[in-house]
Amino acid sequence: MHMKRTVTFAIAGVLACAVPAAAQSINDAQIAHIVVTANQVDVDAGKLAARKASDADIRKFGQLMMSDHTGVNKAAVDLATKLKVTPEANATSTAIKEAGDKNLAKLETLSGAAFDKAYIANEVAYHQQVIDALDKVLVPGATNAELKALLVKVRPAFVAHLEQAKRAQASLGK
Amino acid sequence: MRLALLAAMTLTLTASGSFLPAAAPKTHTVTIDATRYEPATLTVAPGDTVIWRNKDILAHTATSTVGVFDSKEIKPGASWKYVVPKKGLFEYYCTLHPAMKASLRVR
Repeated sequence: MHMKRTVTFAIAGVLACAVPAAAQSINDAQIAHIVVTANQVDVDAGKLAARKASDADIRKFGQLMMSDHTGVNKAAVDLATKLKVTPEANATSTAIKEAGDKNLAKLETLSGAAFDKAYIANEVAYHQQVIDALDKVLVPGATNAELKALLVKVRPAFVAHLEQAKRAQASLGK
Repeated sequence: MRLALLAAMTLTLTASGSFLPAAAPKTHTVTIDATRYEPATLTVAPGDTVIWRNKDILAHTATSTVGVFDSKEIKPGASWKYVVPKKGLFEYYCTLHPAMKASLRVR
């Protein structure tokens, strides 16, 4: 285990000039766990929005989050299985799960316009954070070429989601 | 029988003959991947077939902005075929991800 860590750090060290400090301590198994956790969190919030949102556009957005993030997770799990990588829990994935649970608990207590507003505000923030994490930590940190390619492939979808969430948020006030 | 054979030969010649004014209909492919259409602009002729192949891991649509055609949801790995009926510039987008835009130039 210690040996493995050292190797990971060594690889990260080679990339260090192009990679921010945060990426150096992460391995592919941890990245896989972060990806699966982050997607699941948004699938769960989307499920709630599809059921509870009062605005039709917000409900539709929730449904899209359910299907798209389920799709990303399927691809991530398929790839992890193919590469024989067992997703490994880590501080980042735990923090994502905790934030997701907290968000769900808060949304459960809300209804009507207050629910819509809180849900979409979290979606805007969540997608921005995921894009930042992809750019600064996950893509530069991934060592396996196929994992890196998958992360690059899904990035434009997250950007599209962010734009849609922002538009939905702006139209809520009108 | 002989007449039928002659007719078949004539048809074959018509389909491949370069001296004829109307070219045989062609099939074109638009690849959908990483939340975009490739190529973003495709030029075709009336009667041609366009196939949208979804190589992405998400479902997408190819939907005319003015209601001329609509693939509905194309699942990952699936494709949708459309025979282009008339000339014009047809812009289309993905109803699921409206930031995805492309166009079909028919002339």
